[in-house]
Amino acid sequence: MAVRRNNFCGSPEHAIDRRGFLGGVAAGAAGLAGLGVLAEPAVAAEMKKQQKRCILLWLAGGASQLETWDPKPGVETGGPFSAIPTSVPGVHISELMPKMAQRMKHTCLIRSLNTRNGDHNSGAQIMIRGRRDEPNLKYPDLGAVLARELGRADSQVPDYVAFYFATEGRGSAPGSAGFLGSRYAPMELYKSMMPENIVRHKDVSDGDHKDRAELRDLLSKQFARGRVSPTLASHNEAYQRVRGLMASDKLFDVTREPQTMRDLYGPTQFGEQVLVARRLIEAGVPFVRVSRAWWDSHGQNFETHQEMVPELDHVMAALLDDLGQRGLLEHTLIITLAEFGRTPQINPSLGRDHFASAWSCSLSGCGIKGGAVWGKSDQTGNRVVDGEIGAAQLFATIYSALGINPQKHYYVGSRPVPLTDPGTKPIKAVLA
Amino acid sequence: MAANPEKLKVVSQLSRRDILFGIARVPGTARVFLASSDAGVYVADLSQPKPDFKEIGKHKSYVTSVVLAGSSVVSGGYDGRLCWWDTQKLTQVRALDAHKKWIRKLAVSPDGRALASVADDMVCRLWDAASGKLLNELRGHTEKTPHHFSSMLYACAFSPNGKHLATGDKTGHIVVWETATGRQVTTLEAPVMYTWDPVQRVHSIGGIRSLAFSGDGALLAVGGMGKVGNIDHLEAKARVEVFDWQNGKRTAEFPGDKFTGLVERLEFHPKGDWLLAAGGAMDGFLMFLDLKAKKALKQEKVQTHVHDVALNEDRDTIYAACHGRVGVFSLKG
Repeated sequence: MAVRRNNFCGSPEHAIDRRGFLGGVAAGAAGLAGLGVLAEPAVAAEMKKQQKRCILLWLAGGASQLETWDPKPGVETGGPFSAIPTSVPGVHISELMPKMAQRMKHTCLIRSLNTRNGDHNSGAQIMIRGRRDEPNLKYPDLGAVLARELGRADSQVPDYVAFYFATEGRGSAPGSAGFLGSRYAPMELYKSMMPENIVRHKDVSDGDHKDRAELRDLLSKQFARGRVSPTLASHNEAYQRVRGLMASDKLFDVTREPQTMRDLYGPTQFGEQVLVARRLIEAGVPFVRVSRAWWDSHGQNFETHQEMVPELDHVMAALLDDLGQRGLLEHTLIITLAEFGRTPQINPSLGRDHFASAWSCSLSGCGIKGGAVWGKSDQTGNRVVDGEIGAAQLFATIYSALGINPQKHYYVGSRPVPLTDPGTKPIKAVLA
Repeated sequence: MAANPEKLKVVSQLSRRDILFGIARVPGTARVFLASSDAGVYVADLSQPKPDFKEIGKHKSYVTSVVLAGSSVVSGGYDGRLCWWDTQKLTQVRALDAHKKWIRKLAVSPDGRALASVADDMVCRLWDAASGKLLNELRGHTEKTPHHFSSMLYACAFSPNGKHLATGDKTGHIVVWETATGRQVTTLEAPVMYTWDPVQRVHSIGGIRSLAFSGDGALLAVGGMGKVGNIDHLEAKARVEVFDWQNGKRTAEFPGDKFTGLVERLEFHPKGDWLLAAGGAMDGFLMFLDLKAKKALKQEKVQTHVHDVALNEDRDTIYAACHGRVGVFSLKG
């Protein structure tokens, strides 16, 4: 398996690609200590203008569309919560989300996902990759694709960071660079807000560390001589970024934020992780995934959503406000997504079960038409009656919102592989 | 003939499309009022082979509790409202915006004069059951759990002499109040009934779902479920703890051995013969517990989750409000 790493999509307009350009700008201004690249006003302004980013709020286990984006009050399947009007006339969401209701001008809703897979594992894989793997082809997930498309070639910060502290469900949708190779694999944080093993060992001096890196580089070059291997190249690129990544520990330190900012996001683990996600995005990390488990409410669905949706509402609203005040919202796409939604039918444990036939997600910020609503489910929420889409169209829409051609090709060996399945069209009605 | 749990049998089970959360029986009859997930309050005569379920009025959301108070039945719901209905004319007498959040449970003092309501605003309000006048507000449950999420106040019950009232919340905290003054008499804890999962899912489940004083008022029974491994489901064993509440001692624990799920309703036999615990998960259960022997006398599966029960004067007939069903059970020997 091979990736034609150097020609990107092959299109003439990418002969000088944006990543290279921005990388040069950033490299000139930043230096290693320049994880604070935004401290340089000119650079910051340029990056704010051009670099797009994405935060995926992964609602692991499957949040209920009926208790979030597509409420059905007053019907048998609707549950006890009411719907409230939003700042966009005619658009109502669950009463559990009053803060997002006030910020609907930044958000578009998709209420017509039919992804035909109600299994945690395979459903999650589809919804983080946009399609199923093939027997001989493992696709990169959204984060890996965006790391490649939006990251800078010489970036000194990670390109793809994933928080997933919960244990259950983590194995359902692990971050995966697929055929793109380890250069685009996620930095995954499972236990600590701070990446493990990011700090130089106390017994190794800085000089020793540099010497070791140079030796590894020398040996690697000798090994690579006469060999053509994208995998090897990707591996080496990952090593070349070690020094920068080691210096990025400050980005993960939430205590560096003023208390007022920490209060804005709230004291919960999810709130703190999303605040760190904003710090990472601001420093140039193109993709951060924050997984908030666990929404798999087979029992006590309403208690679960009463606990968790207000937290989502609060943290999401804080994030939108914070990004907006920093001038980053129009360049940052925030996605709420899960492996599926939940059944309209309420079971005897007052739970809702897995349901992929008519569910919802949201896109906020970059590249979308705020306040737009795409698709419609029927009165009981059991099926899509208008605008049905699957994972491929959703991913085409996400790529388009971020300025990426969803039909762009990668190459695996000589095989062209489009970002989304051939012929897949984005939902233009929700794109800015 | 005395009620005998060993003789428990199903008399009838009537299917419905809604979820029935509460039931109140008119004394001396099989006429019951029901609280429904379709926002309706219903009346039905369960002595009939095919009862007619007549809707007498509506809330704006799930109706979660109904109690009889004199000539009225009072309903409370997730809309935060209390509604009084004339039990004969079946008309609304009054309606109040009683709480800012979901009303979970109502209780009436044995003399019928005081009505207690508990809700997720974490306040227990005492009302004059006849006039609807607010008598007191009892605040002793924190609004947030130790993990920064909104707590819930699920259960309340009066003592047999009406002098005390117990309330229980999501975190397993129980307060016993002096009804006349609103003074906190004591607090109790049942922490096993609250599961906080800090690792797998970072959210909570459980809580005190039912309370009942014994006939002599000396004991307070507390119902819920034990610690949950997979909190996506109600998979923990149904659990009952009994306190000598005046001395702050836990005198009995029934950790459950047969059924999983929440104990939604507790009812002492007036003479202390047994303690009935009803509830469920996907299935329901009726458990009769022997407090002296500290073991279950009888445990019977019910086809679906039981949310509430009402017993007749002889305690030999049980009327059950269930998920999609009304059940009638006999204990006659």
